[in-house]
This record gives sequence, C-alpha cells and structure tokens, in this order.
Amino acid sequence: MRFNPSLFSRFAPLALVSLLFALTVSAARAAADFKFEVQLVWATTATNSPNPEHKPVEEEVHKKLSELPLKWKHYFEVKSENIRVSKNETREARLSKICRISVRDIDGKNFEFALIGKNEPVLKRTQKLPKGEMLVLGGNAPDATAWLVVLKRIE
Amino acid sequence: MNEEQQLKLQAFLDGELPETEAREISAWLAQDEEANGLVKELRNTRQALKNSQSPVRVPESREFYWSKIQREIDRLEPAAEPVRKTSWLQTFRRVLIPAGAVAAVAIIGIIAGRQFLPAQLASAAESEMTVADSGAFTYHDYAHGTTLVWVSYPADH
Amino acid sequence: MAEKDYSSAEDTALVRQAQKGDAAAFEELVFRHRDRIYARAFSMMRNEESALDLSQEAWVKGWQRLVQFQGESSFTTWMTRIVINLCLDQLRKQKRQRAESIEEMNEESGGVERQMPVVAVNPTERLERGELRQRIDKAMNQLSYEHRTVLVLHEFEEMEYKEIAKTMDCSIGTVMSRLFYARRKLASLLADLRNEKS
Repeated sequence: MRFNPSLFSRFAPLALVSLLFALTVSAARAAADFKFEVQLVWATTATNSPNPEHKPVEEEVHKKLSELPLKWKHYFEVKSENIRVSKNETREARLSKICRISVRDIDGKNFEFALIGKNEPVLKRTQKLPKGEMLVLGGNAPDATAWLVVLKRIE
Repeated sequence: MNEEQQLKLQAFLDGELPETEAREISAWLAQDEEANGLVKELRNTRQALKNSQSPVRVPESREFYWSKIQREIDRLEPAAEPVRKTSWLQTFRRVLIPAGAVAAVAIIGIIAGRQFLPAQLASAAESEMTVADSGAFTYHDYAHGTTLVWVSYPADH
Repeated sequence: MAEKDYSSAEDTALVRQAQKGDAAAFEELVFRHRDRIYARAFSMMRNEESALDLSQEAWVKGWQRLVQFQGESSFTTWMTRIVINLCLDQLRKQKRQRAESIEEMNEESGGVERQMPVVAVNPTERLERGELRQRIDKAMNQLSYEHRTVLVLHEFEEMEYKEIAKTMDCSIGTVMSRLFYARRKLASLLADLRNEKS
C-alpha cells in the first residue's frame, strides 16, 4: 500500500484532537486522591483468637478470603489502618512492630504496594486496585497459622 | 463417616493438617477401626503410585526429536532480511511518516483503552511484582476480584 | 568453526548460554531432560503422540521464555511446569469438544466412591515392579483427566494442595475431593485387577 500524504494531512488534526482529549481525561482522573484500607489479619483454624482484642474480619472480607485456596477457616483482624495517597505520592502504615506497608500512586490508576518486614523489602507489587477488588499478601506463621495483609480501595 | 471426616483423614495422611488437628486425628485413628482402614487404603494406593513411576523414554532419536523443536524455533524466529541500501529521505518517507501516524493512533488507542477497559482485564495485564522470595506465587480469583500473593516470609507478629 | 562441547557443563551454565541465544546449549538441555518432560506429558495425556507433540511444544515455549527464567527453581522444575500447563490446556480443550457423560458428572462429585467399602488387602502387595506399573497404567487410563492430573501433581510432582489448586485453577476443596475420589477409584480398580488375575 502506498503512503498517501493528503489522507495523512486530513487525518492528523483529528488524531491530535483525540490525543489531547484522551490526555485531559487521563490527567483529570490521575489528580484525584485515593484511600485504601489495610488490614493485618491472622488466619487460623481455631474458632477463637487468643487475643480478645482481635475481632473476626467483616463478612465481605471473610467471604472473599474463603474463596481463595487457603486452608484456614477463621480470620481475625489484628490491626487496620487507612492510607490516603495522591499522584506520585508514597504513604506508609505500620501494621506491627516489624511489618509496614507502603502505597504509591503511580499514575492515578496503577499503584505500587510494598511490604516491608524487619526493615527489609519482602515484596513490591504494581497493579490497579479498583473499588470492590482486593489484594491479599500472605505467608505462613507459627503454629500452622498465617498472616495476611488485606488491601482494599475505599475511595 | 461423613465427607468432611474422610477428607480430613486424607489431609492428615498428606501432612496438610495443622498440628492441633493432626493430633486429634491421631487420637481418633487409635480408636476407630473404620477410619484406620480408610487411611491404610489411601496409604497403600499412594505408595503403589510412587513405586510405579516408570522410566518412560522419548520414543525417538535425539536428532529427530531435536530437529522438530529446532524447526519450530527457526520458524518463529526467521532470519533477518538483508539490508538494502536506501537514501535517508526515502526511509523517512516510506517508514517514519506512516509509522508516526500509526504511533499516534496507537497512543490514543492505549490511553482510551485504559479509560474504558474492564478493570479486571486491565489489572491482570499490567500487574508486575518484584519479590525477595523465590517460593512466592500469585493466585487470581477473577470472579471475586481478589489477588493473592503468597510468600514464604517468616512472621512473628 | 568447531562446535562447543557442552556435555560436561552444568545446567545453570547451559541455561546462561542459551539465554544469550546459544541453541547448542539449549539442545544439550533438551537432550538431558527430554525423557522427564516427555514422561510427565505422557502421564497426563496417556497417549504417545500427544505426549511427543506437547513435550516438543514445551521445549519451544521454554526457549521463547528462557529470558524469564531467573533460577527461582531448578530448570527441570520450570520446564515441567510448562509442559503440565500445556497438557492441561490441551485436556481442557478436548473436554470441551466432547459432551460430558453422566459418568463424568458422577466422577466429579465422587458420591459413589465415598460410600465404597474399604479395600482391606493391599492389592499391589508382592507384585513385581513391572506388573505393578502395568496395573497402575491400566487403572490410570480409566480415570478422568482431572482425577489423573491431581494424582500426577500430588504423587509425582509432590505438590501441596494449594499449589495444585493454583495449577488447575480450582479451589483447595475441589483438589481434596478429586484426590480422594481418584485414590479410592484407583484402589478399587487395582483390587478388581487382582481379583481378575486370581
């Protein structure tokens, strides 16, 4: 197929306008703040937590955790924190003496979640997290239990 | 014996039960003949399978087996065509202008696509992870919009 | 130019060379591990032709994705995962192509096998290894692919329930039921084979 300059000159302004429109929409969305709820959860087969301050996770979270290929049946919230981030900003929450989580808004849609344990990076994950979806980071803990860090976007 | 109990016995045999439950099952097995018989049968089957692993060999010579793989690799990675001598201006006209137009459309497409693509598809396509743990794995529950990342990081919270 | 002799090189060195585009290093890896990869494909497909095709396809995929291999597991484990996934894709396609029979639906729930009496005598006791293999092969052929795969992944690949769930894209509960059903069915098939012989 031969290149047709007149067709290109007719098409170029349309392409430019569409590009500007898309960039404007994208920039407007990226400027918003985002709020996340981060929970440190203890997963166990025991029906009660030894710590009376640990309450069972809310039903919606329990339901989603039950759908995952995990062998535990009971989930207790150890700590919950909210994190609010703006574009290009990184915010952090301490979940336990040794565990911290940071959230960075990369471009208004993608977020970088970094888990830090004993001051060392454990994992860093970049993904979208729309409202209603959940990211769960987890690992085994002593006595055949597990720790989970549950992340949800609430705003 | 109900289904849950049967599956628990199996999980016990496979070492998948937490310690406290495993102790309970051991105590149960010590006094229940039916449960004991089932565990014995499951163990026998498991052992028979392990002993039956046969040394299966590729029924083709090394050269013949490799040649098919090599042909496919070559087909997927064709040798680069020889470079013809063309002037800079010709290259600009023939390649860069149409490529620029295609790139502009592609950029618009990507940006627009990101706005309107279903969130689940978009997140699956763009997630990336760096992890200081070779045993880590990721599981996606697309139906419920949940992503699980499991690491072997020890915890004592 | 004389070809390099890779016969004494370690897998890790061969992988590094192959990642740079050295096909001879990759060929040596194929030569060393082709039986294992083929065997895994055969254990899942139960068919020589499919196992050959899929094992070769796995090697081509391995070559294409080699740059992604960072040594987080052994090279053979990594290649085995590739061939397992290819076989599962193929088996799922085959299953979609044929109508599900009532028997298969029963297999999925495993209702009958849960009620089955326990096989008290070990049906494989005092069998020669060759005969044991033959009987197991025959019994494995009679299982559905889901039940065979769960056995292969658990007993041969020594995967935990959660790893199997991830590989087969199902819940841990499904893995446990399938494994239970598969083992019980296998026990009864082996017992039948023993009775036939005696």
